[in-house]
Amino acid sequence: MAEPAYTVASDSETTGEEKSSAFPEIAIGVDIGTSQCSVAVWNGSQVELLKNTRNQKMMRSYVTFKEDIPSGGVSSQLLHEHDLLSGSTIFNMKRLIGRVDTDPVVHASKNLPFLVQTLDIGVRPFIAALVNNMWRSTTPEEVLAIFLVELRAMAEAQLKRPIRDVVLTVPVSFSRFQLTRIERACAMAGLHVLRLMPEPTAVALLYGQHQQQASPDNTDSGSEKIALIFNMGAGYCDVAVTATAGGVSQIKALAGCTIGGEDLLQNMMCHLLPGSQSLFKNHGVKEIKSMGLLRVATQDAIHRLSSQTNVQVDVDLGDGLKICKVIDREEFEEVNKSLFEKCESLIIQCLQDAKVEVEDVSDVIIVGGCSLIPKVKNVVTNIFKGKEPYKGMNPLEAAVCGAAVEGAVASGINDPFGNLDLLTIQATPHAIGIRANGNNFIPLIPRNSTMPARKDVVFTTTHDNQTEALIIVYEGEGKKAEENNMLGYFKISGIPRAAKGVPEINVCMDIDAANVLRVLAGVVMPGCRQPAIPVMEVRMPTVDDGHGWCTEALNRSYGGRLDLVTVEKKA
Amino acid sequence: MLHKSASTMSNRKLCMTLSNFLRRTTLFPQNSTLNLSSPQIKLSSSPFEIQIPNFHKPTFYDNSLEFLRFSGERSWCSKSAEKLQSSGSRCWNCDAVPTASESAAPFLFCESCQCIQPVDYSIDYFQIFGLEKKYDIEDNNLEGKYKDWQKKLHPDLVHSKSQKERDFAAEQSARVIDAYRTLRTPLSRGIYMLKLDGVEVDEEQTISDPELLAEIMDIREEVEEATNSETLNHILSQMQEKMQTWSTAFADAFQSQKFEEAKTSIQRMTYYSRATPARDESMKPEKERLKPG
Repeated sequence: MAEPAYTVASDSETTGEEKSSAFPEIAIGVDIGTSQCSVAVWNGSQVELLKNTRNQKMMRSYVTFKEDIPSGGVSSQLLHEHDLLSGSTIFNMKRLIGRVDTDPVVHASKNLPFLVQTLDIGVRPFIAALVNNMWRSTTPEEVLAIFLVELRAMAEAQLKRPIRDVVLTVPVSFSRFQLTRIERACAMAGLHVLRLMPEPTAVALLYGQHQQQASPDNTDSGSEKIALIFNMGAGYCDVAVTATAGGVSQIKALAGCTIGGEDLLQNMMCHLLPGSQSLFKNHGVKEIKSMGLLRVATQDAIHRLSSQTNVQVDVDLGDGLKICKVIDREEFEEVNKSLFEKCESLIIQCLQDAKVEVEDVSDVIIVGGCSLIPKVKNVVTNIFKGKEPYKGMNPLEAAVCGAAVEGAVASGINDPFGNLDLLTIQATPHAIGIRANGNNFIPLIPRNSTMPARKDVVFTTTHDNQTEALIIVYEGEGKKAEENNMLGYFKISGIPRAAKGVPEINVCMDIDAANVLRVLAGVVMPGCRQPAIPVMEVRMPTVDDGHGWCTEALNRSYGGRLDLVTVEKKA
Repeated sequence: MLHKSASTMSNRKLCMTLSNFLRRTTLFPQNSTLNLSSPQIKLSSSPFEIQIPNFHKPTFYDNSLEFLRFSGERSWCSKSAEKLQSSGSRCWNCDAVPTASESAAPFLFCESCQCIQPVDYSIDYFQIFGLEKKYDIEDNNLEGKYKDWQKKLHPDLVHSKSQKERDFAAEQSARVIDAYRTLRTPLSRGIYMLKLDGVEVDEEQTISDPELLAEIMDIREEVEEATNSETLNHILSQMQEKMQTWSTAFADAFQSQKFEEAKTSIQRMTYYSRATPARDESMKPEKERLKPG
């Protein structure tokens, strides 16, 4: 889905045939987290995490803009606290990527110690770093690309070969539009995305490998094991139910939402300093500094609360603003009560979607940065009646390890011991459909359909002699069209003149195993055997920035003139 | 030739085959429209004639006009296992004949060169899973066989192979998913069995029997008014009973080739399955119970 303008290294592009002749390049696995990143690769016998020059496996996801040369958390020296507080460092890009300025997640990012400005008109937010007292605007894609360039250089230095193919993990809740932004950032960094894997499905693959290694001869699928994977990081919370047997993991259901450690942190900051949001509204240098100080102190307190029952917060925010408070674990849990409830309902929803009972689950896997928080662990294990979580996976490394395994499998690497004899059969995390029957969303491919998926539905015209129809493609779960993410639209013209309800407009959606979505539309008139006009096929998404505007503009210009309705059930 | 078989089906059916059309058309340049009057474009046999810069290019398959002929499936009967063996298919890649163990199963994958074969639409869903074409298949480890196939056919596993084989993988894998989905539940399995025998069940058909209509309305009302899990579970078990009754009726009718009776049973099952409370609703009380503390 990379746009040509950014396609780098096209001359070194190889077809599958050429590739198989040479030694196959192993795609690396990359986990770009909201707060931390890691890179892993299959080294021929197992997954190995790559370390940076400071010997770290986990690198903080940030980019500091200084003078002309931005530098990220991979290569630069230890982040000086001063940099984080000066407004020149951009982070949390994973939360901001592919979102417009009406998005509540963008609004919640306004008290980060750099500039996030919204005009609430459905365009991309104004994001800027303070460099020499001037706001230097940037985009999440750019920040991510700068960071990926550093990751790439690090990996190339260590593996002593050029890196091109990557498998990236992404949150379940990412829209297809957001996925294109990730792909664009990769293309800007000269990387080719072999696969974007929802984070818990990468963990599912790793779990499948564990099961395979535990009983390699057990290829018969009578020994199917169902696992629930709960992954909560700094930015997102994801759940998956997977059924594994003989190295094949079938993703039964996925659920995800935008809550994570960042929200816990924001709530705690508000709790420690009520009204902090309005206090820091004007983004002066002093306010940014206070904001940063409060952030660092609160983060530290939350980390310590994972092992201690109470902590002392003591921070001087400047301007006579001091916080000196003892916080205990109950208080932290109470402040974030609604977030933990949301996690719980997400798990229950995922189990329901997978049609799996609590008793059917063999293993409960809790991963991600937030899995270290006792309350998070409690929420999950309580649903499973106190069942001990799965051991044998590093909660911070599981996703990137899974991505590295997928990278090896997808690169066609064979392992003599059968360790790569694996497969993950993915499911669609969101329903996909079109707008019809007025302003309703008519899903064609429901959520949690096995991929590849394909479905067609017949629609018809709403006006006499309607010669054109607008196919607006949405993704999401909302009943009304505008409650969902718009992926794009196209017009079919040349519908033969006829009374309303006569032409049959067949819309077909197809998602292949690589998660590429295509939409086809054809028109058939009663009594005809040939489609009335050539079948139109469009790859989605088509929208770029400002897709929030599109719906309104389309409505204003066309009203209901190009509408469709589903075909009524005939008596 | 194309119109002969198409003339027997309704427009609606023609329209419904768009997805088949998608599956069976040739490799077209991206974003082009599909012109049905254009001559067929053959998939290149040489991998170097098609330059595929990345994996995300849409792929189409042989014979753009075949979708119009696809209605032929209506009259296809399930071939017997013996016939399958004697079909004399050879691997497109290495020209090997399926080995003895393979010939017991449909030839979707060549064991000698590890190569995925083009889809043979004359192999029905039951044959894919090595099953006899019968209604009662509940204990046959369908999911296991499904996964075994996916491990051989899934597009993810042939990334580094030729475009041609990747296309076969996409198509075969999708078909195995369809097969699994269809055979997994009794209702869709029954509809498919009738379809194999040339009997179409119109799932959208409205209820004309006033007695049945009243019954369905009653059930819906009961479901809506049900306030606790007990009532819902009661309705649920009643529905399951009815489903079972009609399921048995279907099996009997089908066995004795009484297709009209079989069709009626399937329609009944459709109505009851639609009237059955959604799982979300039936799970609500469960959710309450699950809440800790």
